[in-house]
Amino acid sequence: MRRLLTVLLLACATVGLAHTPAQAHNVLIGSDPKDGATLTASPERVTLVFDQLVRQGYAQVGVTGADGSAWADGAAEVAAERVSVKVKPLPAGGTYVVGYRILSADGHPVTGKITFSLAPDASGVSTDTTSAAAGSSGAANSGAANSGAVSSGAVSSGAAAEAAANGGAGMAVVWIVGALLLLAAGTAVALRRSSSPVVEGSPAVEGERTGA
Amino acid sequence: MTVTAASVSSRRIGGRAVAGAFGVCAVLAAVAASTLTAQDAVPGIPMPGVVVTYGLPIVRVLLDVAAVAVVGLSLLPKLLGFDDPERTEPVMLRVRPLAVTAAWAWAICALLTIVFQTAELNPGSVPTFGMIAAYVDDVGTGQGLLFSAACALAAAGIGLMAVRFGEKVPAELRIIVALFGLLPIPVTGHAVDSVWHDPIMISMEIHVMGAAAWTGGLVALAAFVAPHRDLLAVALPKFSRIATVCLLLVGLSGLITGLSTMALTPGVTLPDAIVTSPYGQLVVVKTALVALLVPLAAHIRFRLLPAIRQRRATALVGWAVAEVSVMGLAYGVAVAITRSSIV
Repeated sequence: MRRLLTVLLLACATVGLAHTPAQAHNVLIGSDPKDGATLTASPERVTLVFDQLVRQGYAQVGVTGADGSAWADGAAEVAAERVSVKVKPLPAGGTYVVGYRILSADGHPVTGKITFSLAPDASGVSTDTTSAAAGSSGAANSGAANSGAVSSGAVSSGAAAEAAANGGAGMAVVWIVGALLLLAAGTAVALRRSSSPVVEGSPAVEGERTGA
Repeated sequence: MTVTAASVSSRRIGGRAVAGAFGVCAVLAAVAASTLTAQDAVPGIPMPGVVVTYGLPIVRVLLDVAAVAVVGLSLLPKLLGFDDPERTEPVMLRVRPLAVTAAWAWAICALLTIVFQTAELNPGSVPTFGMIAAYVDDVGTGQGLLFSAACALAAAGIGLMAVRFGEKVPAELRIIVALFGLLPIPVTGHAVDSVWHDPIMISMEIHVMGAAAWTGGLVALAAFVAPHRDLLAVALPKFSRIATVCLLLVGLSGLITGLSTMALTPGVTLPDAIVTSPYGQLVVVKTALVALLVPLAAHIRFRLLPAIRQRRATALVGWAVAEVSVMGLAYGVAVAITRSSIV
């Protein structure tokens, strides 16, 4: 029994240490615009910041008006711990809910929402879409272009880091094959031992078996 | 064994009650706790359908139930001992095929959980093989479940050998393979990004294994050994020692894991989060359930065990049903806790 426990503890330790890469539960730590903020101009894009890497491929962000209308323009982009989505020019004076559902680093879907509103006299757009949109986005454009360049670099490095952290499915196959080989070997040894002509279940045999 | 057929069959009903109570309580608690702590739907984001929201916790808890059954049935030969095959063999002849069936159920539930989790991440569409492959490729949970399924299949294979060759297949091997399959289960839960990641992970491994050995051992004993007083007089004292260790390990590791996970997650303020966050509330519920187990376990240990040692009739099955039901509730809550929001 003691031997059994030792083996178990060793197995625990190996598996525990094998999962060293940090894979934790993501938490929203910031956003642009901030939760509850009142903006004076329609934002170019909404960015959510999490405490660590967000997994690629499963992130969804929606921007919804009070009447249920959708204002997100295109799919969410993941850049390391930032998730952002472009926003269509928003009518002034409205309240908007940014809902998100991302895949946390530890493999759980995490949902949540933040809200922001646009001041009634916001330099966004109410009726004449084109001119106001151009005006408001003009100032933001240079900044957006910069962050866009940064984010595309971060996307690829984020993906690489993620792949390295996981080891991919190839690692899982190695694990499984290794474990099955170990089991097969153990079974073969056990069966060969027990086929020797000794009385089954005598204390001596039991001791020998545990001694394996 | 001088037991009449009628009394044996009535006692087998008691055994089924033990296993049934555990399974039913686990499924009910899993569905209830998952529904109560479900993440709210947010506007603009498609959420998974009813089949997934209810199917996932059910499949996940059935995985746990099957794994507990495999661990418990694998422990049984070790508890019964090998010195008296004339008495133990009739019991083991019924137990070994069941262990194989439970191992298959475990493997199937693990694979189904992968499918359901893929569906959860891709709301609004039936998962295709490509989506499932991408999920397993991307997400550690998928790989962990795949590994668990492989271990379950290995346990089924070794169990089949045990059916064929009897106790020549070492009991230790069966126990280790079953516990090995439990190792990846904590990977499907929460994790923290900190230097304490590894100690917490090991604490969770101890938690999962201790719970499986404790619950599985009790269910197996109550279901298969309780009708045979001579065997029970040998097996229950052995199990009682294991159970005491498990109770301490499970309680301690559970508290350590739960509290440190909350403490190390940014944006969580202890002690407020214990009552405000879904994760904290579920930790409180599980602590209460373990506290409820203590008097039940103590009654079996200190009141019933002396009588059982003297081969007297006791109300063991009734008390076991009560204890196992509480354990089932704790397992159901455990399914919800791995998926609930910490903040």
